[in-house]
Amino acid sequence: MLSTVISLKDVSKKYIMGGDTVFYALKNVNLEIKEGEYAAIVGPSGSGKSTLMHIIGLLDKPTDGKVIIGNKDISSLDDDATSTLRSEFVGFVFQQFNLLNKLTIKENILLPIGYARKKFDYNPEERAEYLMERFGILDKKDSFPNKISGGQQQRVAIARSLIMKPKLILADEPTGNLDTKTGNEIMELFGELNKEGITILVVTHEPDIAERTRRQIKIKDGEVVK
Amino acid sequence: MTYLGSILKSAITDFGKNKGRTFLTSLGILIGVMSVVLLMAAGAGLKVYISQQFESMGSNLLYVMPGNMFGEGGSGLSGADGGMAPLFVEKDIVTLKRLKGAEYVIPYYQKTVKASYVGTTKYATLNGTSEDAFPGNNFIAEYGTVFSSADNSAKNKVAVIGSNLAEKLFKDGSLAIGKKIRIDDQLFRVIGVLESKGGGGLGGPSFDDYIFIPYKTAYIFNTDKKFIQITVKAKTEEDLPVLKEEIMTELKKRIKTDEFSVVESTEILNTIGSIFSILNIVLVAIAAISLVVGGIGILNIMYVTVSERIKEIGVRRALGARRNDILWQFLAEAVVLSVFGGAMGLGLSATVVLFLRSFFPAYISWQSIALALGTSSVIGVVFGVFPAKKAADLSPIDAIRYE
Repeated sequence: MLSTVISLKDVSKKYIMGGDTVFYALKNVNLEIKEGEYAAIVGPSGSGKSTLMHIIGLLDKPTDGKVIIGNKDISSLDDDATSTLRSEFVGFVFQQFNLLNKLTIKENILLPIGYARKKFDYNPEERAEYLMERFGILDKKDSFPNKISGGQQQRVAIARSLIMKPKLILADEPTGNLDTKTGNEIMELFGELNKEGITILVVTHEPDIAERTRRQIKIKDGEVVK
Repeated sequence: MTYLGSILKSAITDFGKNKGRTFLTSLGILIGVMSVVLLMAAGAGLKVYISQQFESMGSNLLYVMPGNMFGEGGSGLSGADGGMAPLFVEKDIVTLKRLKGAEYVIPYYQKTVKASYVGTTKYATLNGTSEDAFPGNNFIAEYGTVFSSADNSAKNKVAVIGSNLAEKLFKDGSLAIGKKIRIDDQLFRVIGVLESKGGGGLGGPSFDDYIFIPYKTAYIFNTDKKFIQITVKAKTEEDLPVLKEEIMTELKKRIKTDEFSVVESTEILNTIGSIFSILNIVLVAIAAISLVVGGIGILNIMYVTVSERIKEIGVRRALGARRNDILWQFLAEAVVLSVFGGAMGLGLSATVVLFLRSFFPAYISWQSIALALGTSSVIGVVFGVFPAKKAADLSPIDAIRYE
């Protein structure tokens, strides 16, 4: 029996729009991500998938419902505790890579380490070297992000998301800024990582991309439609 | 690397990428720190300079002056004859000379005169004084000799002149001895030229431009036979208080208490010192305004930096940075910026002070170094905290979505 990485119970996110109008970005979402899953949250823009991703990524909190990680409802955690949990629980991969241009590739990959509050049972430097070697970017370790290609930048971002050995990789439109060939390479990389047991959740509006994962969570108007 | 080390490194790396902006932003602090440090250095130097001037005149001196306060209208020290009317007479000199603790009694009659020799005419300060003036003031004849009490009693028309005046009139001091100079309409024989005492410049003629003649001879000019000041040198420092009392007692027999005063050189030094300190504090306070202006420059640029880096803040938050991590990061940048300006200001001040030292003993004290670096860090914190708070309070989602 695989353990649950994160589960959402009746999660809603609503905004009071002025007057009595209430807008539901998410409505009664129930969702469970198991360890080792490779899933996609798919839906058109404005469907609420970004909000869902922010809640799963611990960047946002629901207005109703529970978010459970390791049998604990984390909605009640304060900002500092949430930040610390975020650093250990989730690794982000973004559409725009979001690397810091003034840091070298290696420094970018090691950036989350500086914010970690845990003791490491491995050497982060060595892990960074290993990830760079594995992703074919070791020769770029002292380069800066704006000096390398988009595909390489996304590999750096994936390495950065893995440096903390998080429970979940959350990839927001990871191929959106890449050409088809490079996008495919990135998706293949996710496939390989998943085979090694890493839990990956891809957020996308492209059905093609979603189909490359093993489970599609369709979302429309703030509700999960399966 | 420690947490502090890493945020400092990150702040410094950041400025490395933005050299021009960093320099311009810290320019305000640079100018502020520089003006404060320089004014403090100059103030400290001037104080040293003034006490050196006093020391060169000798210690254990009591100044007997008209009026019940010194300072106003010139004390007579630097030869200003304005303000107080001459008050003392020959009898006072004789009386004071008889006091046990008095080693030298030096009366002064002062007058600005025209001194000329073979067509060269210079303005000079004439002093009608006693032979005690020379040992009492540590005046030593470089050429010739100083006048004696016999010259005074005989009203000999002899003059001892300062080195500077001698050079002006005779090109070389040694040529002056035995020559007759015309002082206003009287002819005097130069018998001595004094060694240079330096100084002057600060609000009065230098001793090097003085002419000394026996006070009895000076009655040609001093028709009232009155003296503006009598300086009494005590035999020892221990004699000073008693001597001061005795002088008061003696003079009170003739003059009303509030018409004259007896002041120790240290009192004058302290008064000048405290006037300088107050003046210096005021100047430093004015200079400190530029530090505040510099701080506002930092405040401004830090707000710009935060707005430019909203996305970065979002990324850092997504990677696990806490609110305080962001706060410290931007605060560290503000402090580094400010201390960088402070350090450069200090460096430039040191250069200027080195240059100033050829004129007077200006120096940068440890206190002013600590003050400069301390103030600039405080300014960094005070003016950095608002932008840093703004950065820390950004919502992670808004920040990461920011384009």
